[in-house]
Amino acid sequence: MRVQKWILFFSVLLSVLLPFLPLVLWSTSERWFYPGLLPQSFGLRAWTYVFGTAGDQIVTGLSSSFSLALVTTIVSLILGIPAGRALGLYDFPGKKMVSLLLILPIIVPPLSVSMGLHFWFIQLRLAETFVGVVLIHLTVCLPYTIFVIWGVFTDYNPDFEEQAQSLGASPAKIIVQVMLPMILPGITVAALFSFLLSWSQYLSTLIIGGGKLLTLPILLFSLMDSGDRPVAAAVSLVFILPAFLALMGSAYNLGRSGLQGVR
Amino acid sequence: MTGSSLHSTAIDAGTGRKTSLLQLSGLLGPALATVLVLFGGGLALGLLQALGYLPATGLASIGLQHFTRVLQDPDFSKSLFLTLYIAATSTLIAAVISIFLALSLMRWAADSRTVHFILQIPLTVPHLVIAISVTLLLAPAGMLSRLLSSVAIIQTPAEFPLLVNDGWGIGILTVYIWKEIPFITFMLLSVLKNMGTELLEAGATLNASRLQRFSHIILPVIAPSLGAACLIVFAFTFGAFEVPYLLGRTYPLALPVWAYKNYSDIDLLARPEGIAIGLIIAAIVIIAIFLSQIVLHFGRKRGLTI
Amino acid sequence: MQLKKRPLFLYVLLLVLSFTLPVPGSAAAKKEVLSWDEAVKMSRGQTVDWYMWGGSPAVNRYVNGYLAPELKKKYGIHLRQVPVKDIAEVVSKLIVEKQAGKDSDGSVDLMWINGENFRTCKQHDLLYGPFADKLPNQQFVDWSKPTVKNDFGTPVDGMESPWGSAQMVMIYDTARTPQPPKSISALIAWIKANPGRFTYPAPPDFTGSVLVRHFFYHAAGTVDTWQGEYSAAELTKAADATYTLLNDLKSSLWRNGDTYPESPVKMNTLFADGQIDFSFSYHQGEASRNILDGLFPETVRTYVFDEGTITNTHFVAIPYNAKDTAAAMVVANFLLSPAAQLEKAVPEVWGDFPEISPHKLPVPWQEKFTGLPKGKATLSDAELQAHQLPEPPSTILIELEKGWVDHVLKNR
Repeated sequence: MRVQKWILFFSVLLSVLLPFLPLVLWSTSERWFYPGLLPQSFGLRAWTYVFGTAGDQIVTGLSSSFSLALVTTIVSLILGIPAGRALGLYDFPGKKMVSLLLILPIIVPPLSVSMGLHFWFIQLRLAETFVGVVLIHLTVCLPYTIFVIWGVFTDYNPDFEEQAQSLGASPAKIIVQVMLPMILPGITVAALFSFLLSWSQYLSTLIIGGGKLLTLPILLFSLMDSGDRPVAAAVSLVFILPAFLALMGSAYNLGRSGLQGVR
Repeated sequence: MTGSSLHSTAIDAGTGRKTSLLQLSGLLGPALATVLVLFGGGLALGLLQALGYLPATGLASIGLQHFTRVLQDPDFSKSLFLTLYIAATSTLIAAVISIFLALSLMRWAADSRTVHFILQIPLTVPHLVIAISVTLLLAPAGMLSRLLSSVAIIQTPAEFPLLVNDGWGIGILTVYIWKEIPFITFMLLSVLKNMGTELLEAGATLNASRLQRFSHIILPVIAPSLGAACLIVFAFTFGAFEVPYLLGRTYPLALPVWAYKNYSDIDLLARPEGIAIGLIIAAIVIIAIFLSQIVLHFGRKRGLTI
Repeated sequence: MQLKKRPLFLYVLLLVLSFTLPVPGSAAAKKEVLSWDEAVKMSRGQTVDWYMWGGSPAVNRYVNGYLAPELKKKYGIHLRQVPVKDIAEVVSKLIVEKQAGKDSDGSVDLMWINGENFRTCKQHDLLYGPFADKLPNQQFVDWSKPTVKNDFGTPVDGMESPWGSAQMVMIYDTARTPQPPKSISALIAWIKANPGRFTYPAPPDFTGSVLVRHFFYHAAGTVDTWQGEYSAAELTKAADATYTLLNDLKSSLWRNGDTYPESPVKMNTLFADGQIDFSFSYHQGEASRNILDGLFPETVRTYVFDEGTITNTHFVAIPYNAKDTAAAMVVANFLLSPAAQLEKAVPEVWGDFPEISPHKLPVPWQEKFTGLPKGKATLSDAELQAHQLPEPPSTILIELEKGWVDHVLKNR
């Protein structure tokens, strides 16, 4: 058993970490011609570029990606927690249809929706604005949030709330002191979920944001074409870091249940 | 739908709880309105444009001409086939590996937080980044080729098989499989954990073979989650743009890439065609989900497990 | 089956939306073009969003590391680079904005453009101007040069302002190919003799497209015909000959022509990795730049064909609905200043060739330009100027790009 465990452990470790190897090597290479297995010389040209010349853009990209993801997540939670509660707790006529409608955007690609909305977003002066891009990210993030929270509420026992109510707690107090603590792990998952989805959106941001909302994916895509592999690798690493930190932060909170359902 | 199959027990059994319509609409109203306006509106307005409607021209020129042009294009069947192939293959391979992985994890490393943590890493890595990394690994002069060359298996990059921008979409599949395995695995683990080991132990005492245990005990338990996860993965890979754009061949193009290419063309007529392709993608995904639901439904009726 | 009810929702939604949406105004009256003095006065404190291809760290370095701080210091203008994959996306965006009636407050203030994208913009009235003749630094530009007066056969008419000049150069490694083929016919023979060692970016990529035009000139046997009047039959004949030629070469290309690099930089990567023996570029100084960055080996050099290589000019233009037109004009003018053009030409910075004519400059500046060190792999001005071919009109360019996709890529 022990041997099998270690085999499992190392094969998972290797396949997960392998893709990071070329990124790290390329980003620190100065000269690396074929067929050298390792760079002929190492250097920090790419990192100087990322933090020097392109520093402003990277910071802009980081902050706009971050604030977009944050706002989208918050709005998704505000709208998604009540909806998930309704779906998870109650029976009502037409429930199947309502849930279908709320969940359908998960499977329909954002590209179809963004292209349809673009023209009208321009007319409503929403195109190329922060709000416009938040709205298009919402079509992706909100359904996932509802999906996760719905699952949380199927195991939720509202009797505690009634007890609290009978003890004289106000509705606000019930939400903050009874409901939220009980569903907190679920909320963390949903929030991470939504954050990562927004964080990695490319095409919908490009269509609605028109390139003006310079998120990290947009920046990386424009650099990708450069064939400057050291720079592309360095920016890729910058792109992974915040989400990775978020994972580290939440790992403790979530324990072993992990990020199930996040893609 | 994916939701309904995952949470199907809740719906089918019913929670029994009822509440007032007023409270329900208070809870559901805002989310429902948002989804209706943004998502429903997006598709509907897209449809209008794909039918040829523009405020400048009005409804006068409405018709199916853009759809027919797309569907009659000889490239359409090629692109459709390529996209279906990518989505189906990556879903299938990822699902099979995930089942093995989930079962092994349950058996050997159920309590290992480290393994769980490592497995979560791919979830946080955007497809774009992993596409770049796969290029650096698998391209004709990538690290794998350099490795083979350093041990003298190949002499020049030309001898290395084309694994990126290739006809079989190997690079694209690699990215998707790497990204989606953890997703499916965690979906499976969450049900397997609830199942506990009692059932399996019962099976073992009844002298059930490994295969029997799998098909009669495990599969029925994980089927709904597996189905839902696969549907989500299939739908995502069918409609995603970045990976086939970066790692695909010059021709034929995956449907989403073709859609965006037309959408952003400076030729005015190409744009409604791009939107039409986008809607066709949406329609295909929705139809695929429906078909799978019907199959599952009949399967369940006849007492089959999957 | 519940889905059946959904269309009803959509109809209702559509109805509501169609009432609430603003009706786009009819084509807005053409804006008055600012005078230079007005532009300078109004520009202070404005932000210029400059949409440009963002794929070159060298260009990005010049824009963000030199232009932005200089403009801030000299004019109080905030220059913001908006990197895009392809400027055609921006043009397409402007077309949609025009249809949607967004005639002011547009987000694009300046764009890096030429060729077919410029023609499309002009055709659809997407540009602000004429503004180029209002810029004082125009005096340094030689407007009699055909590539400045006409952009791929489209008269410039002051609707865009020149920024730099480009000439296609072949890139090779002297260590690998000591005797490169110095003409298109020699190149064709070389490709056939060395299968799998040559490729080109798939048109409509800009650089792949220029190679196809060289083959077109070769197949047609004439360059001058396309500068004047020509018949449709002549064009079809020459274009078909081009496709036949390229199809014929396909099996000798890298990976048997099954796939093509999608951009010149991807081609550079293949070249640097030793997969192919030639690259080519629209930037005369790019090879030197890449040697400095360690992307190319030291032994890389460039050359031009004996019959010449295609030359063109790249420009900047201001969209009709730009928000900060005044500052955009000041930026366009600063781009043509001797100081900015000199900095742009420094091999360590970008190495792009100046668009202003040295003989129109004051003597001290002339000396600075002539004294500028060239990169290791960059050809001399004399060598380049002696081997220049004009671009065909952009209608031919579009015809060839579309034809390439249909006849060469898809083999119909």
